[in-house]
Amino acid sequence: MSDPFDTVAGWVQEHLLLPLLYHLGLMAWEEVAYGWALFATYGAAQVALMYAICVPLERWRPVERWNDQRAVLTDVLYTIIARVGLLPLVSFVAFYRVQVALNGWLTDHGYVPPTLERFIPALLGHPAVTFLCYALLLDLADYWRHRLSHRFSWWWALHSLHHAQRQMTFWSDDRNHILDDLISALWFGAIALLIGVPPMQFPLLILLLRLLESISHANVRLDFGWLGERLLISPRFHRAHHGVLAAGERSCNYGAVFPFWDMLFGTADFSKSYPATGDPSAEEVLATGSYLAQQWAGLRRFMRSLRRIPEPQ
Amino acid sequence: MLRISSLILFAALAALALFPRGATAGQSGLAFVLNSGAASLSLIDVATEREIRRIPLAREPHHMALSPDHTGLLVGDTVANTLYVFNPQTGALMRQLTVADPYQLQFSPDKKWFVVNGLARNQVDIYDAASMHLLHRVHLAAMPSHINFRPDSAVVFISLQQTNRVAAIATASGAVLWNVEVGSTPAGVLWHDGKLLVGLMGADEVAVLNPENGQIERRIPTGRGAHNLFLSPDGKIIYATNRVDGTISLLDAKTLRVTRSFHVTGGPDDLDFAPDGKIWATLRFAHRVAVIDPQTGSYHTITVGRSPHGIWLNTHDRFPVQISARSPSE
Repeated sequence: MSDPFDTVAGWVQEHLLLPLLYHLGLMAWEEVAYGWALFATYGAAQVALMYAICVPLERWRPVERWNDQRAVLTDVLYTIIARVGLLPLVSFVAFYRVQVALNGWLTDHGYVPPTLERFIPALLGHPAVTFLCYALLLDLADYWRHRLSHRFSWWWALHSLHHAQRQMTFWSDDRNHILDDLISALWFGAIALLIGVPPMQFPLLILLLRLLESISHANVRLDFGWLGERLLISPRFHRAHHGVLAAGERSCNYGAVFPFWDMLFGTADFSKSYPATGDPSAEEVLATGSYLAQQWAGLRRFMRSLRRIPEPQ
Repeated sequence: MLRISSLILFAALAALALFPRGATAGQSGLAFVLNSGAASLSLIDVATEREIRRIPLAREPHHMALSPDHTGLLVGDTVANTLYVFNPQTGALMRQLTVADPYQLQFSPDKKWFVVNGLARNQVDIYDAASMHLLHRVHLAAMPSHINFRPDSAVVFISLQQTNRVAAIATASGAVLWNVEVGSTPAGVLWHDGKLLVGLMGADEVAVLNPENGQIERRIPTGRGAHNLFLSPDGKIIYATNRVDGTISLLDAKTLRVTRSFHVTGGPDDLDFAPDGKIWATLRFAHRVAVIDPQTGSYHTITVGRSPHGIWLNTHDRFPVQISARSPSE
């Protein structure tokens, strides 16, 4: 019996995407479209699962209560764009030629990107273990990407959009500036050239990891206990990172899924407080503006940073 | 000066210890199905039509080619940049080779050349089949997809999916003989009766080209998304899979007229022929293999992994016939 997600994605491809691509003269992209159909199917399931789990959590023990939640609605849009794959699809197609040219150039110069299985032959034939190894390595890579995004002022200017949210909820995980997302893609693209891309045949595991990242942003008084806090990142742990006093260069708790790297590199804060979130140095529009207004404000802040112009008070 | 590099032979002893040593399927044989979206190879007992083993691969396998001496079935794993060599009788993994983005692969009829299309690097690699040394790398825009040879192996034809073109390359020199626009999204390429047939996936037809210059001589309407072409073992029928319409068209091999069409939903892609005459076709979007009775067009399905693509039955000693046995003079 086929996986229901695969069945849905196959139906979408066969009955919706293929006829559309054919009509538009874009059949060369049919494999890419199918990859997107799978991504979008699992993404939609992620969003549904997030909602089903996190809404009750946030109602049960909220850290904060707000009368006006319009600022949260913008985060809903960020989530849908990211999780249903619109942004990844557009960026993949936009950068496809660059990627192909790079692949060709590397191949011409004798470099063939390896996989972890080539370094560790024992992983061959054990894809689930391989996936776990990649999850740990990529989480480590993401820790350093995140830490550096706080360290450099021009990068912080982009990343501050994510921190500007004063009403942080489970919808806030994908609240990012497009250029910040682009830097992330380049970062992980470079990683992929060194260790390959992870096995992608475990969409349910990927769904679980993404769910954990969303939960870590939830507006809920929840920690995982002494041991749990040191195994998985909890809402309490990640909220410390979003605290107003942690915005900017000197922050803590940079990890995405696992707290190991914060513990290893001395940036872990296990104190039991639930601080207010936001970036006091950010313009109001970054916190409460529309999607486009936030993106534009983030770009302006980035340009000011490059030109070393002080932020408006 | 052309860069000459060799494939890196990867130590296989550890892999042999970890991978299954193969499957037995009685006298009837095995079907090899590459699940491109599940990073696996399904081994199916042809007689019982049951999947007897699913071998995990690294990332994204698409196509395969039987070695000229029939001792190895080469499977290309694109994202892992790996060629696996399986025992074509048992399915046991024998060794692995590092090759960049081996999307489509094929040996020439004279067994002298091995051609690999790197779809995601816009490159076509021509190897010496005996030594596996890279002899020529041809840069072609864009998305080099399918491969077929002239019967004398002197020329290889490549469909360029994204640029709507087909190119002809001299295998000995690597020179591009011609590179012409043929129609929307060319896919499968089949040499037949001195002509080159090309499935136009962005259209509803098969183009018949003059192999000397790539000029279109005829267009044969089949169905929307004409994808790949296969000559039946008796040489009488050419099967064309139509991806968008979900059909398989039967063309009379002599007249190239469409005589029948089968309705096969789920995105029919590659196919092969079983000893009992049935057609085994991968259904990309239904995650199944269809076993089709060519007399009636009825079919049943076997569940495999996500997005099955290449398929090959070891009940015969050749890859699905891509080259007509008849030369232009016949």
